[in-house]
Amino acid sequence: MSELEAPTAIRAFFPALAALSSLALVPLINFWRGSQRDDAATYATIGVQILLLATAVGAALAGAGYLSTLKIGQVTIDPSEPGRLLVLLGGIVFAVIVGAGEGRRAGTMGQIALFGIAAIDLALAIPSGIAPIALLLFASLGISGAAASGKDDVDRARAVFRDLRTVSLLLPAVVIAEILRTAISYAAVDASYATPSSLAAGTALGVSLVLIVAAGVFPFHGRLIKIFEALPIVGSLLVGVWIPSALALIVMGELSALASSITDPLGGAIVPGILLAGAVTLIFGAVSALLHDDIGEIVGFIAVGNAGWLALAAAAALQSPTDTSSRLIVLPGMLTTSLFGLWLVSVRRRYGTTSIRELGGWARRTSANGIALTAAIVALAALPPGAVLAARLNLLLLGGNPVIALFAVIGQVMLIVAAIRLLLIGFTPQSQTVHEAETRPFANVITFSLVAGSIFVAAAAAGWLALESGGTGPLPPAPSVSPGTSFDPAPSTEPTAAPSADPTPSATVSPEVSPSVMPSGSGEISPAP
Amino acid sequence: MPGLELPLVLIAILAGTLAVTSASRGAWVAIALLALTSSALEFSVADSNRIGLILRLSAIGIGLVAALPENLFEREALRRDLALSTLVRTLRDHPVVVASAIAGLLLGLVPLALPIESSSDALRAAGIALLVVGLPPLLTSRFIEATTRAAVVTLAGTMLLRTSIFGALDPLAALAIGAGFACILVVGGSVATRISNAEEER
Repeated sequence: MSELEAPTAIRAFFPALAALSSLALVPLINFWRGSQRDDAATYATIGVQILLLATAVGAALAGAGYLSTLKIGQVTIDPSEPGRLLVLLGGIVFAVIVGAGEGRRAGTMGQIALFGIAAIDLALAIPSGIAPIALLLFASLGISGAAASGKDDVDRARAVFRDLRTVSLLLPAVVIAEILRTAISYAAVDASYATPSSLAAGTALGVSLVLIVAAGVFPFHGRLIKIFEALPIVGSLLVGVWIPSALALIVMGELSALASSITDPLGGAIVPGILLAGAVTLIFGAVSALLHDDIGEIVGFIAVGNAGWLALAAAAALQSPTDTSSRLIVLPGMLTTSLFGLWLVSVRRRYGTTSIRELGGWARRTSANGIALTAAIVALAALPPGAVLAARLNLLLLGGNPVIALFAVIGQVMLIVAAIRLLLIGFTPQSQTVHEAETRPFANVITFSLVAGSIFVAAAAAGWLALESGGTGPLPPAPSVSPGTSFDPAPSTEPTAAPSADPTPSATVSPEVSPSVMPSGSGEISPAP
Repeated sequence: MPGLELPLVLIAILAGTLAVTSASRGAWVAIALLALTSSALEFSVADSNRIGLILRLSAIGIGLVAALPENLFEREALRRDLALSTLVRTLRDHPVVVASAIAGLLLGLVPLALPIESSSDALRAAGIALLVVGLPPLLTSRFIEATTRAAVVTLAGTMLLRTSIFGALDPLAALAIGAGFACILVVGGSVATRISNAEEER
């Protein structure tokens, strides 16, 4: 590797290097503080928090673009705007969550978060092929396995088992989609093939299935709920929200490219089916969140509601491939669910229970947690109205079905009501559990980071902050999607409408970004030569 | 290695069938054999891509070492479980799986109106046969070890089918898929151990 390539390699692999260094750091801390085990756990937690924050800073400094693109032979590691932004925000979010979680396993959870973030970054940096999707799916499996380790809990083991089965089934779906996609170009010139629109529908189904199953869209919500019930919150958020969101960015880019490559309407009932699944998921998640009394389950159902929006976004990407709303809503939804996860872990740590009946008056006793939940509600409602809310409304308009749109709006309002219910319980008279719980003074590092982190993440999720991961220029176009000349995946290769050098909206929660049709970091499925 | 392709295909399908039908020892040996033969088939397509084969075999080797149950290599038991009569009896006891494997093989040999008609017949047949054999237990089995093995068979079939059309994976994708094989084996083995420990405690 030449001198010039070395810093590029470090920048391209920075999150992975940070994750690997944690493998040395934590044992070193344990060795250093050997005789004082609690002390060692605290130091290990601080160590991984520093690594998480360093990862975030590294992502901000590295940015994305040609200068960060590493070439090893024929292999390109191309840091993408969405990948770097996810690392930037993920480092901060998980550092705060690990701090709020405390305990003996907090250091391990921090390591898991580091590896999860590294996997997301690497997957979004690989420009095309089956590798990014495979990497994310297997990272999801590995993380759920690691997060569930540590004790012989049957429920945790069964949640991982479910994940193993899901991942093993999704990869064939991706390969079949890849094969069908390749056939589209042949179909345009050879009548013996199925029509391009029907092949595109099959491809869309296969690719969407990855998003629908991984994100937990109805009727595949069971996996997500089990994950939130059984796994620690860092594992739940990574496996149930962050990795599916990274997959969503890939899938949205793929669907946009697919839809823009065919002139006829997509065959089958793919778009109405995905729209319906999205609306049903929102309603189902919201109603379930209102009916349950366990805050772990409620946060799980809020995550299901977010999955509903991802499905609606996938349908919108198929309906209107040049519209950027579908990719804009991925990041806010992910951050909002993470905020609920942060609040959940903090409340569970403080009161040792997740039952609403035992949590009366929690907000009066620990006002920092109250601020965290308020921030989460503001993020969920996307207030004050701005780019995120506009993008959601745009998705509903693109869907073109007023009934679906009405159901989605009702579902979102009910989700907000379910979250407000949690907050109101915090202001009821204090239960015995809450009254007897040991609390810490407001002025300490963990409480301060909880409050500051919540406000920062809520600001990002609600669209107040113009966050950009700082690229040096637009990313190089992904390779051609099809060998056929008749099949031109225009959006992925030649951005034509409203050219912009800014990062694409998928990479940002900024209300100021200019529209771009380039599905950045899309890791498109393309046939091997 | 075109001359070796057909025998390797047959061994891979047989190993895949035994992996989902045999009891512990026979099944794990069959998985190892399947991994070897399917990797050799997959990466023989592009001779220059030896790194992919090495990565795949290393990853599966690590996964197998981590996932193999204890007492697997007891000599007498191993000889008994791998005796030809035992293997034949196992296959005879699972006629549906054997029929599925044969049907998959035949189905794979027939080109369909897709880009697969220009693909390698042997690899396509092996891929579809392994998919047909692996998918049903992957979807329905309640036993973790069996599901893990079915997942490996399915993944091997998927990659063979893909290779028959698109050629061998690039090194990065080969690394990702190899890590996936290892991940499935390690996580499956760990989950199985944890559940059996918890049940014993109970």
